[in-house]
Amino acid sequence: MATVSGNAQLSAPPQVAQPNLFLRFVRAVDARALILYAILLAASLFFLFPMAWMAGTSLKTVEEVGQPQLNLLPANPQWNNYAKLLQEDTFYRAYTNSVFVVSVVLVGTVTSIALVAYAFSRLEWKGRGVVFALMMGTLMLPAQATLVPQYVLFHNLGWIRTFNPITIPGFFAGGAALIFLVRQFMLSIPRELDEAAMIDGANPLQIWWYVIMPLSRPAIATITVFLFVGQWNNLINPLIYLQRAELFTMPIYVAQKNNLQESPIPWQDIMAASVLFIIPVLVIFILTQRYFVEGITMTGTKG
Amino acid sequence: MDVSSQARWENLLWAAGTAIFIVVGSILVGCAAKRVARWRGLSASEQRKVYWGFLFAAPWIIGFVIFVLGPALASLYYSFTDYKLGKPMTWAGLDNYRELLLGQGAQGRRFSQAMFNSFYYMAVGVPLQIVTALGMAMLLNNQMRGIRIFRLIFYLPVILAGGPAALLAWRYMFAGNGGFVNVTLQNIAGSFFLFDWIYRAFIFTVEAINSLYAGIAEGSPIGPFKYAVPALIGALMLLSLVRGEWTPSKRARAWLVAELVGATLIILLAARALVADPLDPGLLLGIGALAALGALLADYRGENRRYRLWTLIPPLLAALTLAAVFVLGGETERSLYIPALLAAAAPVALVLVARAPAHRRFILGGGAALLIGFIILRLIPGQLDGGRLSILPQYLTLQSAIVQPDNLDYLKTEFAATTPAALWLYGLVALVLGGLAVANNRYPRAARTVALVALAAFSLFAVSAIVDGVRYFQAYDQIAQATGQPNYHFSQFRTATATWPDKNRVPLWMTNELWAKPSLILITMWSSGAGMLIFLAALKGVPRTFYEAAEVDGANRWQKFWKITLPMISPAMFYNIVIGIIAALQTFDTIYILRTPQTEDDLASAAFFLFNRTFRQLEIGQGAAVSWILAVIIVLLTVLQFRYNKWVYYEA
Repeated sequence: MATVSGNAQLSAPPQVAQPNLFLRFVRAVDARALILYAILLAASLFFLFPMAWMAGTSLKTVEEVGQPQLNLLPANPQWNNYAKLLQEDTFYRAYTNSVFVVSVVLVGTVTSIALVAYAFSRLEWKGRGVVFALMMGTLMLPAQATLVPQYVLFHNLGWIRTFNPITIPGFFAGGAALIFLVRQFMLSIPRELDEAAMIDGANPLQIWWYVIMPLSRPAIATITVFLFVGQWNNLINPLIYLQRAELFTMPIYVAQKNNLQESPIPWQDIMAASVLFIIPVLVIFILTQRYFVEGITMTGTKG
Repeated sequence: MDVSSQARWENLLWAAGTAIFIVVGSILVGCAAKRVARWRGLSASEQRKVYWGFLFAAPWIIGFVIFVLGPALASLYYSFTDYKLGKPMTWAGLDNYRELLLGQGAQGRRFSQAMFNSFYYMAVGVPLQIVTALGMAMLLNNQMRGIRIFRLIFYLPVILAGGPAALLAWRYMFAGNGGFVNVTLQNIAGSFFLFDWIYRAFIFTVEAINSLYAGIAEGSPIGPFKYAVPALIGALMLLSLVRGEWTPSKRARAWLVAELVGATLIILLAARALVADPLDPGLLLGIGALAALGALLADYRGENRRYRLWTLIPPLLAALTLAAVFVLGGETERSLYIPALLAAAAPVALVLVARAPAHRRFILGGGAALLIGFIILRLIPGQLDGGRLSILPQYLTLQSAIVQPDNLDYLKTEFAATTPAALWLYGLVALVLGGLAVANNRYPRAARTVALVALAAFSLFAVSAIVDGVRYFQAYDQIAQATGQPNYHFSQFRTATATWPDKNRVPLWMTNELWAKPSLILITMWSSGAGMLIFLAALKGVPRTFYEAAEVDGANRWQKFWKITLPMISPAMFYNIVIGIIAALQTFDTIYILRTPQTEDDLASAAFFLFNRTFRQLEIGQGAAVSWILAVIIVLLTVLQFRYNKWVYYEA
């Protein structure tokens, strides 16, 4: 189907008399496109509304929040809700904890995944097929199978109530799907590049760092974005292992705010914390949405 | 220095230590691999390649051993113990599995309910999610200005639904009194009488469906309805098959359903048989008979691979049982090895039968099945004999199977039909469909007559069971009221079926057991953008020429959708179904955020139950058993889906 303006040009017949402005407008608008836009807008409303409601609620007063209402925005916005939150010690701590955990995990996981993916794509070695099949097999294994004994393992290591159980496993190239994604990308890089470097006397480590890594930037960016969003939102692991208010990350902080037995429920505070919680994810998502689309279609259609 | 920054420094130290550990470990792995390569006599350059390959892959290999392989084996061991953190471990044999799989005790019941909830998310949530995703993708599959922005908006919920913030916003919007959703719904309903009707019909429908489901899921006695479900399934299947000619695709469909039902039954029976105390010979023999039939049918259709698979089941199971009996069992269990051997013997006998000429095979097979059925009947009184089996002939003549009850005990004892009793009816469905599929090769007219008779029989079963079910519930209600016994589950059922909601009724969403699961599914539909992207990529890959050719032939939109679009995107559909079902079993975050004290048990998925048992109550042993049951189910489901994916079209 052509674009709206394109259709108008096509449908303009060789006319005898110039019709009036209204008729010209009617003809220029493609009815099908109009209906489609209407449906798309209605659907967008459904998808965006919870966020809008979240933002609107965060600016209301306690009294407004407790009443049945349909106003998206309050009469006078209470920016105070945010100011109160930002001065709160626990909020600041949870936020910095989250940033800290996510950065450590990202550094460890991305590096190790890039290394392992390199082994599975650019190096030829006996046993590669077996190890690779084993790795893809772990995709089938549900996370639940290892959740319990991992807890016992970390308990025995004395790692409960520390950040270690959340950050350290990432250093061991967690996530077979992401390794697969990077591997697929690395396979598409021309072979001649490694061979040329090899002739120049570079060892595989140097080839990895100087040749492959710079060329794999899109794939690395994709998994970074995926890992960031997954880790920033991760609720279950921090919930299981942190168990201590000083170490709580943002997801637990936000979830806990709801569980406090306060009445009436301070929804405006919860929503203000939620808004601050989703802002980094939103920004990252809007800046890098191209990678999301590519990453998901890549794992989905080729996997 | 405060606690959190101290923890961060410690963590950084550990991270640095881990990095060093990985580097050293990788070099060691590389050297070891090189040593092995030299020992196996590879050339020097090959050895170098092996060294570098293992060096780079080592982070994953080390992580796999420490965080996956070791823990998985450990948890398998824990699952046979009563391990509780901080207490000494003692061997408990199959106790954990017994409690969970047979639904014994409070936790067993909780677990069955969690499994039913997970099944609900799978059977209701996944199809809705896929329809939404496909609809969104088809909307976006138009070249229009600004379509990329819409794609961004449609995908946005996926990013946010992973975290608690957006879920809390939903929770606030779903508040029962004065929540945004309810206020909007009431305003719309109040604006025009027709909307009001629709609104009430919506409430009524959701509550009626969910209350029936709650009845089945909570394991409360649901009486004759237990027979209605399989009878209805059989009737519907036959209805779609009896009309017109039996095309190969129809035969394939009948065969597929029969095989799926048979396989499901075998898995259910096997799970129960393996943990039953004492070991139940009837279940084992049932598995043997079913597998034998499956093998016979597969052999008849000339499918060697399937034939071999089906014949493998009973010997495998018998070996497993024998091992379990001798390792774990006491004297009474040891005496039960005969039925296990019998189960193994059935398919062996059938192999001999299969060598007979083709036309005698079916008769022999039918005879063998009858014989096995007879043995079952003789061996296990209480499983199939007496009152329970007499229900079916009574239903065939449209008689009621319940006498006017005068106390609750009658309904509970007389009609507390155990699960296998209803499973036999499912077996009958599978048998009829499979038999028809085979018979149609040779005697299409006779097969059609049989199908019509079977259809009539199943319809009679269904009608009678439904009528009796309603009567049963009425009697239950009357007695409960007369004796003043509390009957929470049943009163729920009554309000939902008997009353049409009055004007000011609002759905209570997260705080009501009938609405909690539907609200959760609504939220998963809201965040089904990941599936949408997969569908979109697939839709973009459908060649335009196909549509143009169809247009030339005069196909309409609907035909183009069913005959071109759907088959062409079936790989994407398959992927989304597999992923969706696995995700449905593992639902956790949404439940954790959205649960209320009243609805925690009604929302809990298998994964949530696992979390509760292990990390709140620290019952590591049982948690490990849950995780293994879950792992087996997920692997089985995935394998089944890959086995039955003939409908997926892959371009050569």
